[in-house]
Amino acid sequence: MTTTEHEAPGAAGTEPEVLVDVQGVKVHFPIKAGVILDRVIGYVYAVDGVDLTIHKGETYGLVGESGCGKSTLGRAILNLEPPTDGKVIFDGVDIASLKGEALRTKRQDIQMVFQDPLSSLDPRQSVESLLVEGMQAHGLAKNAKEARPRLRELLKAVGLPVQALSKYPHEFSGGQRQRIGIARALSVNPKLIVADEPVSALDVSVQAQVINLLEDLQEEYGLTYLVVAHDLAVVRHISDRIGVMYLGSLVEEAAAADLYAQPLHPYTRALLSAVPIPDPDVEDSREQILLTGDLPSPSNPPSGCRFHTRCPWRQETRCDDERPQLRVVAIDGVVEGHRVACHWAEQIESGELQPHAVKAIAIDPSASDTLGGDLMGPASLTEAL
Amino acid sequence: MTSPANDRRKGSDTAPLLTVDNLTVTFQRRGQEPFRAVDGVSFSVRPGQTVGLVGESGCGKSVTSLAIMGLLPKRGNQVTGTVDYEGTNLLTLSDDDMRDRRGKDIAMVFQDPLSSLNPVIPVGLQVTEVLERHRGIKRKDAMPMAADLLKRVGIPDPNRRIKDYPHQMSGGMRQRALIAIALACAPRLLIADEPTTALDVTIQAQILALLKELVEDTGTALIMITHDLGVVAGLCDEVNVLYGGRIVERGDRHPIFREPRHPYTNGLLGSIPRLDTVGERLTPIPGSVADNLPWDHACAFAPRCSQPVEVCTTNTPTLEESGGRALRCFNPVEVAR
Ligand SMILES: Nc1ncnc2c1ncn2[C@@H]1O[C@H](COP(=O)(O)OP(=O)(O)O)[C@@H](O)[C@H]1O
Ligand code: SF4
Ligand code: SF4
Ligand SMILES: [Mg+2]
Repeated sequence: MTTTEHEAPGAAGTEPEVLVDVQGVKVHFPIKAGVILDRVIGYVYAVDGVDLTIHKGETYGLVGESGCGKSTLGRAILNLEPPTDGKVIFDGVDIASLKGEALRTKRQDIQMVFQDPLSSLDPRQSVESLLVEGMQAHGLAKNAKEARPRLRELLKAVGLPVQALSKYPHEFSGGQRQRIGIARALSVNPKLIVADEPVSALDVSVQAQVINLLEDLQEEYGLTYLVVAHDLAVVRHISDRIGVMYLGSLVEEAAAADLYAQPLHPYTRALLSAVPIPDPDVEDSREQILLTGDLPSPSNPPSGCRFHTRCPWRQETRCDDERPQLRVVAIDGVVEGHRVACHWAEQIESGELQPHAVKAIAIDPSASDTLGGDLMGPASLTEAL
Repeated sequence: MTSPANDRRKGSDTAPLLTVDNLTVTFQRRGQEPFRAVDGVSFSVRPGQTVGLVGESGCGKSVTSLAIMGLLPKRGNQVTGTVDYEGTNLLTLSDDDMRDRRGKDIAMVFQDPLSSLNPVIPVGLQVTEVLERHRGIKRKDAMPMAADLLKRVGIPDPNRRIKDYPHQMSGGMRQRALIAIALACAPRLLIADEPTTALDVTIQAQILALLKELVEDTGTALIMITHDLGVVAGLCDEVNVLYGGRIVERGDRHPIFREPRHPYTNGLLGSIPRLDTVGERLTPIPGSVADNLPWDHACAFAPRCSQPVEVCTTNTPTLEESGGRALRCFNPVEVAR
């Protein structure tokens, strides 16, 4: 994709306005060994060449399993994790090129909502001071008193009583803390909110409250969202478009409804078929594509198509040695804008190619253990349950 | 697999293997009122049957399973009621007798396999140990049996993996190893507490398929503890919905999902986004468990309920059984959502 592509007024006048343009982004983390020399003995290829665009006012959902790089990509978009390669154009400007005041202003435009609201909130700060902090940093208020009217408005927007201002994070339930986290993100009038697993630590009833809140706020403030999550049902529910990641790459991207109606990539097919549906009639009749084995380690990704070690459709040619590009396919009924990275998407969809058994390979996780933490998403998310 | 080909005995005429009656667990808390985490819970499970305990965090699911297994800390809590396992009240067994049972007839699989595997013993040895200790199998014969079990639970290359330590395995493989250890004692009752919650969805699908196969092939009774209604819909024959330490609704899985009668069950179903339906707005349950009223003179759920009536805040609803279902509610849902 070229830098200027989105700026050219496309043939159709209805071309959506691009807010974020991610171009060939890679994030590789060095794996170090040795106490004294700190040798680099390898890399974790957390994000390994991603192109995507996020349109103004939409919700883009990034899904994938633990270690697929979705959170790292989210952080790279905020430049919290400077890309090893590629760039992120936000609102027409290359984020990496910004310094000083300009960077601060841009930072204000992009805010983050985290999975665990408690860990991202300083326990010794009252809600008021938590909220005022960001506004002061960006020159939106000189002090708490001046910020008062705005704070009241914010609390109302996220459904918390004004009395909450003088309380501390530990005095709130998980759902309320997430509301505080959202209020904090909103306090500086951002254009984009990157939400990393915003509801996965919450009980389902509270999860639904927060999902509805995010939807309402988007409508009210014209926000753009990038939602990073492992729960496909949640992502499908709130997203306009969805990108599916596997081992550092996007393997498929489509409008939420299209992705569900016609998944084209073998991994997406397997992923969708694995999600349990809370309806016994559906469960009794569904056909699952059970994958064998583990997700390979991102420090030692398979050659060619990264999914080939687990793919039930893997072919003798191309799959093992040629990396498939994300491309638009010519298949009847597939809408424009639906992209897939599989050499055989057409033949699989037509039924010409049929799935076969796969021999499982176990993966030794210790290779990437040193970096485990934020790469291994879901493992800790639901601890609270 | 080495176990005899049991036929699947889940007909409702089969006697229960385990009957939990009026189980209550109270924790003493320093400087505070004692806290009843499990409050008069009763249910039973038959051979070849999968019974689900479902509810949100803190509703008492895990404490129920730990109490059944005799794994609650010795101090600071009081357990009453009975847990009848074929005529024996497990709650009255000595520690030694209970430990013996745990290896032999009853096994448990937890959410976090790492904390329940011994970190300094190779996984294969942990399997053979169970085979030797509880089934009296000789070391020489136990090795190939262990490899066979690892293979059966879907661990690739079992002859090599048998020497691996837990930290050398991925989360999914560890959970399989734990299931292999549970299977090694050929349990007649398996309690699984959120066994797939920490796993990715494609791995979860593999583990659930494994559990289903186990129940069908060997007639093992399974108590499945989960917060995930999707998992329940696919796996459980009977569903018990817990709220605030009490069972509020019980029924077979089809009727429970088709016609939830308790406002909490109904509210849960309205709260979860579904992968297979277009994004209608969710209808969450308001508030959180922090709003609960004490059961002693109210329905604990009343502050969050969509249709409370006056008596809900003055009297305790009792669990009424009728037509194969049980319900604890003064004003049940007539037409679902
Ligand atoms: N050892 C303990 N001491 C005091 N309270 C406990 C203890 N263990 C669990 N609890 C409390 O008991 C309630 C039920 O817990 P639990 O059974 O773990 O819920 P669930 O498994 O349904 O999430 C919770 O409020 C929990 O905090
Ligand atoms: S390129 Fe080959 S291995 Fe990769 S998803 Fe397509 S069929 Fe499977
Ligand atoms: S007893 Fe009353 S408050 Fe409780 S669930 Fe039923 S209607 Fe609601
Ligand atoms: Mg639990």
